[in-house]
Amino acid sequence: MGWRDDLEELAEKLREFYVAPYRGAAARAKRDEDDLFMLLVFSQMMGVPNPASYYTLELLPVLYDRFHEWHTRMGMEESPLDHFRCC
Amino acid sequence: MTSLLDEVSDREILFAGGKGGVGKTTTAAALALRLAGAASDETGAETGDETGAGGERVLLVSTDPAHSLGDLFGVEIGGEETRLAERLWGLELDPEAETERYLRDVKRTMREFVRPEMYDEIDRQMEMTRRSPGAVEAATLDRMSEVLVEGREAYDRLIFDTAPTGHTLRLLSLPEVMTAWMDGLLESRDRSESFGEILKGTDWEGGDELAYIDRPEKEGRDDRASRIREVLTRRRRKFARARRLLTDPERCGFLVVVNPDELSVREGEDIRDTLDRLEMPLLAVVVNRVLPEEADGEFLGRRRREEARHLERIAEVFSDVPRVRVPLLATDVRGVDELEDVASWLAGDLPPKRRTT
Repeated sequence: MGWRDDLEELAEKLREFYVAPYRGAAARAKRDEDDLFMLLVFSQMMGVPNPASYYTLELLPVLYDRFHEWHTRMGMEESPLDHFRCC
Repeated sequence: MTSLLDEVSDREILFAGGKGGVGKTTTAAALALRLAGAASDETGAETGDETGAGGERVLLVSTDPAHSLGDLFGVEIGGEETRLAERLWGLELDPEAETERYLRDVKRTMREFVRPEMYDEIDRQMEMTRRSPGAVEAATLDRMSEVLVEGREAYDRLIFDTAPTGHTLRLLSLPEVMTAWMDGLLESRDRSESFGEILKGTDWEGGDELAYIDRPEKEGRDDRASRIREVLTRRRRKFARARRLLTDPERCGFLVVVNPDELSVREGEDIRDTLDRLEMPLLAVVVNRVLPEEADGEFLGRRRREEARHLERIAEVFSDVPRVRVPLLATDVRGVDELEDVASWLAGDLPPKRRTT
């Protein structure tokens, strides 16, 4: 192993050291934002009046498995909505 | 004498509104007929006078679920543009059919995304939406936005014969609400995507603790994001366009139809207030079914005294708005000839045939 490899490994570790916390924060921020978005689209079903629910209905297909992922992550084994079951 | 034609001359989009049963459809249809110049074609042909020919191309749109436009012309209209007279077409928005079509589309895409066992669940979900409050309204607005944008290209003038007031005014303010809502959703997507960009910058490959992003969206993550964005943008554009047209006082205007009675005048006042709020110009008030001078008898005399009170009130409430009177007619208004009579009252010229009879 030459000094070049050592240096590269060091660079990689340093990168990891500095970048990792931000990565986690960014990923969490994205997740929260996506959750919020999904809840907005599903809001009517959760009893929050949503004037646009009719128009966002066509987003349900693309958010379907995201909803499933959300409720399992939130510790609910089954869909919390009686009339909307995904599993 | 005030002529309704002068008041509406340069507005390409007109709405006729008022309490149920005051004669909105009749007024809208008579005006449309006159603007299309359908009748003057005939008289022009008879007398060899060509000046009356060549009116505008007019589309008359009924948004009232209880459609009476077709009955008025004695034609089946429905959801397709149907020719009613020379240069005049009619369209009856059918929100239920629109909802049906929309739900069918959603259902179809939904089935691509979920397991077959879930199909029943989806059907149930769609059934709920169909019956949810606001679905009919939403479908009407959806179609109306299309008609507004497409109709402007194909016609010189669009005249909307609207449903009784509350519904219509809400419909007119909906594009604003919806545009704001779509903006909010799109902003959320913007934020999500910018976090995504940051993530990419960290060479993240989907580590354990945050596998949630990777797992459900492993395939087509970008696909999904762009699909969501596409749906939202399309919706937003549609509403924004409709809104731009509806809030342009140079292009749009409202006609209120009232009868000389307490309730319809009150409703007229409500409309006026809401129009002020929406900043949509109130072009004129059509006072329909006023007792004609030649009506006699003690009963009608009493009725006329009552009516005078209401007419005064109308003059007061709408003092700064042009007012046009149409008398109560001896016969039902049905068909092109009778409508042309009404149009003559609206335009302030003499009814061609029936005035003397």
